[in-house]
Amino acid sequence: MFIDIDCIQKRKNKEHTCGDYFISKRYPEISRLIAVLSDGLGSGIKAHILSCMTATMMAKFIEAGKDIKKASEIIMESLPICQIRKISYSTFSAIDCNEDGSVKIVEEGNPSFIWIHNSQIIEPEYVTVSSKKFTDRKVQVYNITLEENDRLIFCSDGITQSGLGTQKFKLGLRRQGLADIVTNVLKIAPTISSRDLSRHIISEALKCEEDLLPKDDMSAMCLFFRNPRQALVFTGPPYHNQRDNFYANIFKDFKGKKAICGGTTANLISRELNIPIENGKILASGSLPPMSYMKGVDLVTEGILTLTRAYEYLEQDEPVTNDDPAGRLTDFLLNSDCITFMIGAKINQAHYDPNLPIEIEIRKNIMKKIGHILETRYIKKVIFQYM
Amino acid sequence: MKKVITVKICLGTTCFVMGAAKLQEKLKSVLEKYGDSVDVKPVNCLNICANTDTQYAKAPYVMVDNDIISEATVEKIINKIEKGY
Ligand code: FES
Repeated sequence: MFIDIDCIQKRKNKEHTCGDYFISKRYPEISRLIAVLSDGLGSGIKAHILSCMTATMMAKFIEAGKDIKKASEIIMESLPICQIRKISYSTFSAIDCNEDGSVKIVEEGNPSFIWIHNSQIIEPEYVTVSSKKFTDRKVQVYNITLEENDRLIFCSDGITQSGLGTQKFKLGLRRQGLADIVTNVLKIAPTISSRDLSRHIISEALKCEEDLLPKDDMSAMCLFFRNPRQALVFTGPPYHNQRDNFYANIFKDFKGKKAICGGTTANLISRELNIPIENGKILASGSLPPMSYMKGVDLVTEGILTLTRAYEYLEQDEPVTNDDPAGRLTDFLLNSDCITFMIGAKINQAHYDPNLPIEIEIRKNIMKKIGHILETRYIKKVIFQYM
Repeated sequence: MKKVITVKICLGTTCFVMGAAKLQEKLKSVLEKYGDSVDVKPVNCLNICANTDTQYAKAPYVMVDNDIISEATVEKIINKIEKGY
């Protein structure tokens, strides 16, 4: 199974920094994923530092193999208490999850998560552990097992308390309101990605406020346990052209969505697999060469320039999905979970002619960058294969 | 029936950065007057650029029927279509 996870945040109105912090890391070799969402006391930079500290410590503890319960105890013991308000500095939800479905969750102070199984909300059992030093600090520890298509929804209290004090939501949206938002959207879009679901939660929570402005930092973190969406990107001709046919057949037999990035690469696949290339009547407009079309291939673009641009899009805070070939490629990547890159090592000397008006990246480098950002920022599973 | 001349503009990486992008925009309006008798289409890398010992000087490359035009410009292409050189 694949764990599709994403978190969308909205900072409190008039603040420059979000006081909630989300961190997540995937360990493909051991089919494990760790994520922490922390909400720092107050808002702005101070809250940000507190939540960042908590989340990072928590993630490091779990990563190092510390029992999640033990880790949260240590953090509870060590986090200071606010001098003025006499309450703990930050709250958190930490998840340690395996692709076989077993999940360990620890919550301290955050609204308790929502588990959706077969369109029903399940209230799982938990154990409460309290701090030996500070009696008001308690963590809930859950051990649950997810099945295919299950979802978990976590949030900071900015979501459950949105609308607080307004005519319609005197007590805020609350956990029940959030649960309704989620179950309603799942009725219409049962396969919605975690990214879109998180975004939807934020926008619905904002609607609770009369002026549509967030009164507190808002984070919605969603987890979707499902069959992975496989994708293959084939870019660049193999180093030895005797191997063209071999690799073209791997491309053909791949189960999942497929993209070709590179004109020469497309020509090669077309020749080896006998699939004609349609170049379309429409000439390119804008600053990228146009797409072409091949039967059985979901996306065919030019190579390096398009890849370089797609990387630029991925680097932005909100990834751009412009309606140009690089935007389509960005979409293609973001809508997949496991992405295999087959990278040809043959180099076109002409690209490094010093007379070229712009500098062209080396394919291997740009692919490494794309792979890295997909893994770290977008939490995708990435496999590289050099040809 | 009149013979149709095919103009293939290479929009591969090398040709594209060497000006094929602008060329194809210009060409579109210039070639309108030929109507159906000239067929312009974008193509992937013609593999001329990758040939380091190529006899053809430089990108961008355009093919008018079976002839390669290097350092293609609108004028060169028109000449080829009109006069065959
Ligand atoms: S890019 Fe035009 S010939 Fe290679």
